[in-house]
Amino acid sequence: MQSAKRFTIVLLRNRWKNIYINLMKNNTWHTPNTKQIHTSHATNEFHEYDKRSGYDTGFDIADTKTEKIRLGFKQLKKEIKLWKQEMKELLEFDPILDYRAGEVDVFWRFYDNSSLDHWIATSDSDHAEGFSKCDLKISDQGYGLFSGNLCSRVPKDGKIQNSGYCNIITKRVSKSFQRDTYLDWSPYTHLNLRLRGDGRSYLINIHVSGQFDIMWNDVFTFVLYTRGGPYWQTTRIPFSKFFFASKGRIQDKQAPLPLAKVTHFGITTADRCDGPFQLEIDYIGADYDPTHTEETAYEMYNIKENYIIGT
Amino acid sequence: MKLGVTNRYIIYISGITDIIVQKLIKANRRSVKSIEREFHSTKPFFDQPPKVDVISADSFNNVQEKNKKTYLDMLKMYKLEKYRTGHVEFINTALKHLDEFGVSEDLETYKSLIQVMPAGKFVPQNYLQSEFMHYPKHQQCIVDVLQKMEDNGVIPDWEVEDMLIKRFGNRGIPVRRYWRMMYWMPKFNNQSPWPIPKPAPNDPYELALLALNRICSIDVESEVKVYKTKDLEESIEDTWIVSGQSPEQKKLIAKHSDTVPIYIEGGFRIWLRKQSIVYFILRTEPSKEENDEKEDEDGNIYIFIYLNYDYNNFYFLDISKFHVPFFDQPKISNKVAKKKTVHEQEDGTILAVAATGTSSKNSLLSWIRFLEKDGNPRLTKIPILFTSRSPLGNIEPLVELNEFKNEIKQPGENISIEQENNL
Repeated sequence: MQSAKRFTIVLLRNRWKNIYINLMKNNTWHTPNTKQIHTSHATNEFHEYDKRSGYDTGFDIADTKTEKIRLGFKQLKKEIKLWKQEMKELLEFDPILDYRAGEVDVFWRFYDNSSLDHWIATSDSDHAEGFSKCDLKISDQGYGLFSGNLCSRVPKDGKIQNSGYCNIITKRVSKSFQRDTYLDWSPYTHLNLRLRGDGRSYLINIHVSGQFDIMWNDVFTFVLYTRGGPYWQTTRIPFSKFFFASKGRIQDKQAPLPLAKVTHFGITTADRCDGPFQLEIDYIGADYDPTHTEETAYEMYNIKENYIIGT
Repeated sequence: MKLGVTNRYIIYISGITDIIVQKLIKANRRSVKSIEREFHSTKPFFDQPPKVDVISADSFNNVQEKNKKTYLDMLKMYKLEKYRTGHVEFINTALKHLDEFGVSEDLETYKSLIQVMPAGKFVPQNYLQSEFMHYPKHQQCIVDVLQKMEDNGVIPDWEVEDMLIKRFGNRGIPVRRYWRMMYWMPKFNNQSPWPIPKPAPNDPYELALLALNRICSIDVESEVKVYKTKDLEESIEDTWIVSGQSPEQKKLIAKHSDTVPIYIEGGFRIWLRKQSIVYFILRTEPSKEENDEKEDEDGNIYIFIYLNYDYNNFYFLDISKFHVPFFDQPKISNKVAKKKTVHEQEDGTILAVAATGTSSKNSLLSWIRFLEKDGNPRLTKIPILFTSRSPLGNIEPLVELNEFKNEIKQPGENISIEQENNL
């Protein structure tokens, strides 16, 4: 009974953390001095408790309870406003009826500082895992400027093997009252970007974060090649070309990109070329090409070999 | 009388008479004993030298000449060992020194790294062994080698598959990883629309040629030319200038007004895989729209009048002729707008691109002189400014710009090369 009570308390306090770790700490019979066979850290089960895998969320804004309540009420005001807007849109019911070939529907553009609110720029130095620096800002001409300094020097902490990335990502798509929702890109066939790069290759990540823990890190990725130089380039990438990866590893079992379930969009640079980089972005959009019928560019057939678990 | 393991291959190697290998052995082995033999003696078993570490952390560091040959010799030395032990430690140490020896993009080296593992020893013999990762450390070690290959963009060949199957069986984890690599890596090997030769050149001149060709690929008519500053009498330096300009850009310069300045902006950076080159551009402000129609011939007032209305006369606006677009013929204009060239962008018109050997101000001045002679005589009349800021993103300004900020007049010519720091 006692342990059941302790378990529930821990569960309530740390909903998004690995509860077993806390439980171990509280256990009286489990002293740290007892000898164990395993010297390495044992994982009791492979369920993940934290969507961000232990990385700092940066969401703990308030320290005290009263402060939290105050901020909560402030947020409530904004959420009701958002909800009102949503209801209005629902009643107006004005969907796009025709997706004409060659017409680009722009999802993100960089007009002013408020358009940066949708984006988060991160690099390895933010988590003390490297020395890269980056930021996303509005250039003098009114474009998004993703720039910084890439450094693949590995910090000497004995754990990290590779280092050096800079990344921009949009915030999770959500409705009012912070309910998660999805972007529906299913009418489109191509991603369409107008940008000016510096000759590096970047990665375009379309996150399709799912319901369960193994689907949290689902990403569809493709390379963005840039010409470099003073000229703008318009890049069209078919969604069928995007390949499925999770936690930075390409997956063996590929699948077509679920365009109705897009949760984030991001651009990464991690090409191990140390030095400054810059990518100017005019817009990020998509278009529809009726002649493009390919669902996925990668092999979908199964090889029946029964004596390998997983592969 | 010592009959250690080390002696055995001293004999072998001196047979090969490979001096370098001998030197390496002397540098790396702690005990090199004389080559005398004694028959029927139990002495060697009791009086063996202390067990020599297969490879110490310093072994690769101590090598005098670090190149592919010595790296492969180090691997060869290890393979000559009769009782090979510590493969994993050896390979892990060797992997850390790939870059030092300049072999990180060499397939042959990776193959001989895999061959450090003996063939046939780690092959699983039954289902259970196959399922539960037979020799896990060894498999993981070779997976790390394959990972390194992938990171350095080395695509394995079929021989690697044979090697891996011989070592870890048909279902070994390294073999599966190899198959994955052979599926994905060739797909992206030639994917880039602006390919760079492999290995990429190290010479800045070659890189500049590659970079300029890449930038100028926007306009198929563009010509990339190489100028030598020696050919110019006034020049101070002796360097090269790689310049790219198209006939369209020459036309734009020919039409350019005398009063509007042209800017030399830079240096911008362009990356060619691992290396980068600094380039400069000749830019002018974007050409203005000339065909701004505000009112048609009939004097009909269109809705967009409200966008620029005059506050004083607003109340006296005559709306008797207010245009209703539903009831009349569609308006057809005879005016023809000229299609803009690719060089006329909204943030400026690019007139030429160049990279120079020194990226100095003098070399850029020489570049302008060469452009004048090479079909742009109008450049002599247009004011040309050096700037340390550009609307085209971040730049790395010339060092000299901060040193002298005064106006420089070139003697005997009517160009004014001015300084402008606050554009």
